[in-house]
Amino acid sequence: MGTTKLDAVRLEVFKHLFAAVAEEMGVVLGRSSFSPNIKERRDFSCGVFDGAGRLAAQAAHIPVHLGSMPLSVAAVLTDLDLGPGDVAVLNDPFRGGTHLPDITMVQAVFIDGRRRFHVANRAHHADVGGVRPGSMSLTGSIFEEGLRIPPVLLARAGEVSPGVLDLILANVRTPDERRGDLDAQRASLLSGERRLLALVQKYGEVPLEDAASALMDYTERMVRSMIRGIPDGEYRAADVMDDDGISEHPVDLRVSVRVRGDRVAVDFSESADQVEGGVNANRAVTLSGVLYVFRTLLPAEVPANGGLLRPIELITRPGTVVDAVFPAAVAGGNVETSQRVVDVLLRSLGAALPDLIPASSAGTMSNLSIGGLDLRGRPFCYYETIAGGAGAGPRRDGCSGIQTHMTNTLNTPVEALEHVCPLTVTAYRLRNRSGGRGARHGGDGVIREIRAEVPCRASLLSDRVKNGPPGLAGGAPGRPAAPAVIRNGKRRRIASKVDVDLSPGDRIRIETPGGGAHSPPPG
Amino acid sequence: MRIGIDTGGTFTDIVRIADEGVRVHKVPSTPDDPGRAVADALSGLGTATPADRLIHGTTVATNALLTRGAAPVALVTTRGFRDVLVIGRQARADLYALEPSRVEPLIGDQYRFEVSERTLFDGTIETVLEEDDLHRIGARLLRAGIESVAVCFLHSYANPKNERRAAAILRKAGFIVTASHEVLPEYREVERFSTTAVNAYVAPVVSDYLKRLSRRVGRDRLAVMQSNGGIVSWRASVRAPVRTVLSGPAGGVVAALRTGRERGTPNVISFDMGGTSTDVALVTGELSWTTEFSIAGLPVALPVLDILTVGAGGGSIARVDAGGALVVGPESAGAVPGPACYDRGGTDVAVTDAHVLLDRIPPSRFLGGRMRLAPDLVTGPFARLSKAAGLSPAETALGILRVVEAKMERAIRRISLERGHDPTDFCLVSFGGAGALHAARLAESLGIAEVVVPPDPGAFSAIGMARADVVQDLSVAVLRPFDGRCAKPLQAIADRLSKRLARSMARDGSKNPRFTVAFDLRYAGQSFEITVDRPAGASPAEVAEAFAVAHERLYGARHPQRSLEVVAIRVRAVGEIRVAPTKRRRSAGLDPSRALYETTDAVFREGTMPTRFFSRDRLRAGNLIEGPAVITEETATAVVPPGHRAKVDARLNLVLTRDGR
Repeated sequence: MGTTKLDAVRLEVFKHLFAAVAEEMGVVLGRSSFSPNIKERRDFSCGVFDGAGRLAAQAAHIPVHLGSMPLSVAAVLTDLDLGPGDVAVLNDPFRGGTHLPDITMVQAVFIDGRRRFHVANRAHHADVGGVRPGSMSLTGSIFEEGLRIPPVLLARAGEVSPGVLDLILANVRTPDERRGDLDAQRASLLSGERRLLALVQKYGEVPLEDAASALMDYTERMVRSMIRGIPDGEYRAADVMDDDGISEHPVDLRVSVRVRGDRVAVDFSESADQVEGGVNANRAVTLSGVLYVFRTLLPAEVPANGGLLRPIELITRPGTVVDAVFPAAVAGGNVETSQRVVDVLLRSLGAALPDLIPASSAGTMSNLSIGGLDLRGRPFCYYETIAGGAGAGPRRDGCSGIQTHMTNTLNTPVEALEHVCPLTVTAYRLRNRSGGRGARHGGDGVIREIRAEVPCRASLLSDRVKNGPPGLAGGAPGRPAAPAVIRNGKRRRIASKVDVDLSPGDRIRIETPGGGAHSPPPG
Repeated sequence: MRIGIDTGGTFTDIVRIADEGVRVHKVPSTPDDPGRAVADALSGLGTATPADRLIHGTTVATNALLTRGAAPVALVTTRGFRDVLVIGRQARADLYALEPSRVEPLIGDQYRFEVSERTLFDGTIETVLEEDDLHRIGARLLRAGIESVAVCFLHSYANPKNERRAAAILRKAGFIVTASHEVLPEYREVERFSTTAVNAYVAPVVSDYLKRLSRRVGRDRLAVMQSNGGIVSWRASVRAPVRTVLSGPAGGVVAALRTGRERGTPNVISFDMGGTSTDVALVTGELSWTTEFSIAGLPVALPVLDILTVGAGGGSIARVDAGGALVVGPESAGAVPGPACYDRGGTDVAVTDAHVLLDRIPPSRFLGGRMRLAPDLVTGPFARLSKAAGLSPAETALGILRVVEAKMERAIRRISLERGHDPTDFCLVSFGGAGALHAARLAESLGIAEVVVPPDPGAFSAIGMARADVVQDLSVAVLRPFDGRCAKPLQAIADRLSKRLARSMARDGSKNPRFTVAFDLRYAGQSFEITVDRPAGASPAEVAEAFAVAHERLYGARHPQRSLEVVAIRVRAVGEIRVAPTKRRRSAGLDPSRALYETTDAVFREGTMPTRFFSRDRLRAGNLIEGPAVITEETATAVVPPGHRAKVDARLNLVLTRDGR
């Protein structure tokens, strides 16, 4: 495999053809799913892999899936022998998954009786069991986080195994919705298979797996060319997360990046040991953060595939917050630690690529959920991530009130939220001058203040309350987050990771961090 | 008789449709004062009479938004929410940009004001408007020389009392005011506020332009093409100028629909390929609208024709990237310097240059001979590009066309799939200067059987304008369960909207409009809606069934156990215009030889082969042309590749098909 070289035209044409397969799988998944998280917030990704499980093309809507899907396919190839029409399913963070709500499916594509390709997708499901609705609360171990699915066959030879599906549905809070979303994932795999087979028909002159291989070589060349632009040397950076939500101890993230020629090693092994609270990231999540950073350094037209990884070595130490092992709790690893893996790695590259790298961004996804019973006694649940300030770059000020790095989900319109939940938004605006001051200012964070109209419970999973996002090249840091509860006109600060009860009239006020500034102010 | 006038970037096209046929004229556009070209075109047409109705596609609003050339405007909004226009939906456009950027808010920080007032989701007024705030703000705006103000209060669609009062105070003080409940009385603040701000921003320039133009061409004959594919009088357009942001492209889609209907193939994909970009729209027998639309990065949630723009056109530049792939676009040579063959100083290879290198565009016949192409000037740039690509110049040129077509194929497949359609069920109506150069191959790779290239493809949008109906629409937020008990209250709302529309249509001279009522429905718990028509007399159960069918087509499943919600009611009034149908001609036989002007070698995938060049003006109904062939006319060039054929139908459309189909 991989001996056929594609000419400049075929390379570009196949780039579009493979990307279109993954993209169309995404259209089918988005269209046929039911839950808002998949359909509207687009928390899913689809990919095409070759026979050996190497990524050929990915339609990544969510960067955190970028590096982690290939590990899911690898886990399936290790554990199962997929035949025609078999579909594997998994979510186990310690066997190919990331965190439990992300459920991945993998199917093999047979051409002339041989397993030449795989198609896979992953979607964030709204609930997979565990102690709290949403399966995203802060706990002390994976067992409290929800149902763990190792790689198993959901379908054999095109027929769903009822036992496996029943087992999954029996362990989740909203089985109808889950069934619909799992069906959508299967439909998406089938459309991927159909499109690949159609391509074989149409472009018979080039074996499709050779084309995939050539595209990986292409991306690899682009990555190596980009790395050659980074001066050789070792670059280090460190950052701390506030705490794990259970103890008060800060959590260290340390990276050392060693660049030599067209290769780079990213070493996170000096980061903190894994912690009790669920801010542990497994290696797949850390890898996604690393690939995200290098992807931002490439031209936009370079396809994300297996070639991206080849010149990059990730070194982690099992049992740390960036390579968590069983039975660590990992729900927050995806949404909080992943953001900081990106920030600290970018920071280390700041010295090497001063003309490109921005200061640190908000560094937290500020996950807020509020639940309870509405005035008619029906349960309601509101969940969203709240934007912050982007770090300023060498060329321009950071954007204000925008999703950064590993997330890009939409907000809930105030007018929609107030219709659905017994909550009133009393302010939603930029947090003035929260971005660090400098030659180029960091973007401002936002203020979102919500009044409870019934008794309810709010859960916050966030960070950057104790330290603001640092500036770069002498720019000042952004202001730290400032979550608070306002009761009877009195404002009381709360921690970054906390559950609080709200009475009618109480307001929870989330002030998200501003981005760091770039370079000192002139004069 | 009707006259369509389309202001384009380079040319202003004018078309007069009368019983005796269609007359087309083109004059150079005058961007400093677009109305001058309109008047020039009108006098150049010669045959116009004062009784002709003029339908104008204007780019004044679009250009103001793209260039941000209009005067600053102000926002007055609910306390706590001054930054809704900045934060938007909080997402970034480019996932992997190291320094993400987004469009500047239309209204700057210094002109965004908060006032004390609050209306709740159910219309309850929690805080009465603090009128002193308004007087203070009004005084400041007067001092700053602000003319136009957007008033956007939360939940004003549910109860506009506070917003109406604020608008009245500001109007009394002399401002042009756009109130959000007047422009778009629907829920979701980001889209409503943005639509309101866009209207406030373009209102002064559009109103000024249309007033002057109406004086120039006659006050009672001027109508304006709207983004929804219908026309309104210029006076109505001044009241809601935001409705003209897609004025130009809408004309092409209307014309494509009419062409499809006349030919008995109502499913058409309109394919309008120009210099920098390509507009694509799917039409299934009727125009289809979307309210998820942005212009220049600014959401506008009014019904607009569902048109997708792909960033590739005749001016798109080809290069070889660091990994050795031949990439085309998104950079464009534009009109200046343009492709290398334009001889205006361009040194990059553009898509048009590839056609020239392959000898498919005769240099002396470009734009009817008014502009001579310079084929010599493409050899140098091609030598450099093909060396980098490791291919011969001809292979590189063919490669550029394949890459462009692969991009188009990807975009068209995607929009078809997203709307629940299969492109093979459609025919491709190709227009714009560059469309017919690519249409045959593109159709082949999409599995589309038939391409239609209408007469005067370069003035097709103006033709659509001349043939468009009068269309006005109104909507209102409802937000209630959709069940057996809702029929009466919904009917009352629909009647109220219809009455308002009837009055406003009558003012526009449309006497007996046809009304359509539609509901925006969703399953309870969803936060996106599907617009479903409610035929007269249909019961809620029948409408619910139509919703389930649409949901299944778009999203692959229906959920009978879930209850429905109605989010908005839409009423549309259509005043049909009687336009002379396109004349049918008797067949003059298969032989096209009287139109043949040259046989010379041109290059195709299959190799270099003798290719016949025809003049479209001299082709007759019934003529059949086997590929390889090229058909040239003043505004466009059509390529019939080997294995394809072109037939001239009774309405003088070129119909391209593949052999053996």
